[in-house]
Amino acid sequence: MAAVATPNSIEASTGDQALVRLEGIRRHFPVYRGNLLRKHTGTVKAVDGISINIMPGQTYSLVGESGCGKTTTSRMLLMADKPTDGDIYFDSRPMNQFSGAERRNFRASVQAVFQDPWSSLNPRMRVDQIISEPLVTHQRLSRDAVRGQVQELLQVVGLHPFHAERYPHEFSGGQRQRIAIARALSTRPKLIVLDEPVSALDVSIRAQILNLLKELQATYELSYLLIAHNLATVRYMSHMVGVMYLGKIVEESPPIELFTDPQHPYTKALISASLPAHPRQQREEIVLTGEVPSPLDPPGGCAFHPRCPFVMERCATDIPVLREYQPGHATACHLYD
Amino acid sequence: MTNDLILQVEDLQTHFFTRTGVVKAVDGISFELRRGETLGIVGESGSGKSMTAWSILGMVPHPGRIVGGSINYLGENLLEKSRGEMRDIRGSGICMVMQDPLTSLNPVFTVGDQLVETLRLEYDEPKRSLRQRAVDLLANVRIPAAEERLTNFPHQMSGGMRQRVVGAISISRAPNLLIADEPTTSLDATIQLQYLRLLKDIQEQTGAAIIFITHDFGIVARMCDRVAVMYAGRIVEQSDVEDMFDYPAHPYTEALLQSVPDLDTDVDMLPSIEGQPPSLDALPEGCSFAPRCPYAWDKCRDYPDEFTVADRHTSRCWRSE
Repeated sequence: MAAVATPNSIEASTGDQALVRLEGIRRHFPVYRGNLLRKHTGTVKAVDGISINIMPGQTYSLVGESGCGKTTTSRMLLMADKPTDGDIYFDSRPMNQFSGAERRNFRASVQAVFQDPWSSLNPRMRVDQIISEPLVTHQRLSRDAVRGQVQELLQVVGLHPFHAERYPHEFSGGQRQRIAIARALSTRPKLIVLDEPVSALDVSIRAQILNLLKELQATYELSYLLIAHNLATVRYMSHMVGVMYLGKIVEESPPIELFTDPQHPYTKALISASLPAHPRQQREEIVLTGEVPSPLDPPGGCAFHPRCPFVMERCATDIPVLREYQPGHATACHLYD
Repeated sequence: MTNDLILQVEDLQTHFFTRTGVVKAVDGISFELRRGETLGIVGESGSGKSMTAWSILGMVPHPGRIVGGSINYLGENLLEKSRGEMRDIRGSGICMVMQDPLTSLNPVFTVGDQLVETLRLEYDEPKRSLRQRAVDLLANVRIPAAEERLTNFPHQMSGGMRQRVVGAISISRAPNLLIADEPTTSLDATIQLQYLRLLKDIQEQTGAAIIFITHDFGIVARMCDRVAVMYAGRIVEQSDVEDMFDYPAHPYTEALLQSVPDLDTDVDMLPSIEGQPPSLDALPEGCSFAPRCPYAWDKCRDYPDEFTVADRHTSRCWRSE
């Protein structure tokens, strides 16, 4: 139940109960033509029936190319958008039945850190205001208590208490991302949505931030929904990975199995396109023909079939379902039927 | 690889004269490039890697100025060229290839018009034969139905196609040197791969040398023959690419290579570099990496010379002395 629990509550650590469960989530955007006589001309299926479990204290990563629906999924989780169909369960309670108190609790329990710390922090606010804004919104605290919490949060993310009185422009990218993380932590969340948290940062800073996120996860038993397109980062951070293509999850597995034994041809192509760590390292090159099709008019059958190097006849007509072919490793592809 | 030198940069210094003082964005760097060779210039923001590219192109923005050194392109010092001569060289000999295909084409002209406009600079021919050349160019970068494509506007083409058109424009005047400046926010892996393949294609067709301005060692590993690592305006290490990955000599290179997660191995915690890149208007005395360096010692208060650590491999670190 959605009791006001501390992040490291004991019940949350037992394995088989998901903190967040998405079940058959769809988000369809209607497309209209004309202003006066609006005509419904099509539907963009940004997210088209995905089900995932985010376990307490673990990282679930969504990977896929731009437009595959990763961010739309995270927006629904942040209550910035509503699914057209399907249910989101938080601590086993369906989100669409939340009471007002549950809703407030949920909003405090789910926070986000975005890609670009230059645009995600208000330049006119001081760091202590930025960090304490969610605190003030969600809790009634004395001014001293707020100040104390800000100081503590700054230290937790590796900044100094005197940074509280500065403005965002006085910080480097890495430090700004630390501020964004401190703000996200301020309400003692259970889940943080990380949308490309390091891709706008300098290379030498990325490892610092990734390590910080890992340490925080271990200390506060945080769950993360990580959206990233760097597969090596995903492997480093995740406990579970979902590969998305045109609004659907085409493969889901723990990272080691996914990257050592990818099954779906699209996953294989993504891995083959990622850059090597050493000049002598050769990857099997899988060249995809064409581009990601428009989500307005997705291909029938398996959405990937027009680009798939292993395409078969039935791929054009039958929609493959996500099925476990090995324990814990599910794929939506007819090749494995 | 033949031995003819295309570019020889020697002790290049590009400084910015701001109200608060002189910022040494590029502070005495040297490297050379041969025909068909690919050099990666790796660095973080503010390392001077992009300003190196703009210096070569003769397009250093105000209030910056090249204050020393030389840039020899095919034996001629570019720093002695007039503006007009530089403009000519930029179009025909040295070419910048933008990675982002959306912003490099003009949305209100057809692809054919934009190609012909470039070709007219090179060839004094009637429009029809220029159009034929444009068709050939598009076919060269593997655009199917090139003839029909000429009448397309950029928005009618897919991202990959537009990338190819930009590629076609950049090879339209047979360049000797391509400079590819990569923005920090990266593209999708599959799109990036297409772009890298296109550049390799162009290189094979024209024999051009390529300079990659990047922050990503993965690109270096995949594309480059030589690599120069920049930190705070200087090249701190330079070598053949495999040598750099096998035996990094500078602590910065070493730490950078270790701090990047690897898709094929598992680690619990990444080794990370403490601190952040220095700001160029407040550089520390001596070695600029010393404040973040785990090996720093007394000697680092003097800026290290360039030491040869192996064949064609230099490092600016006192440990290599």
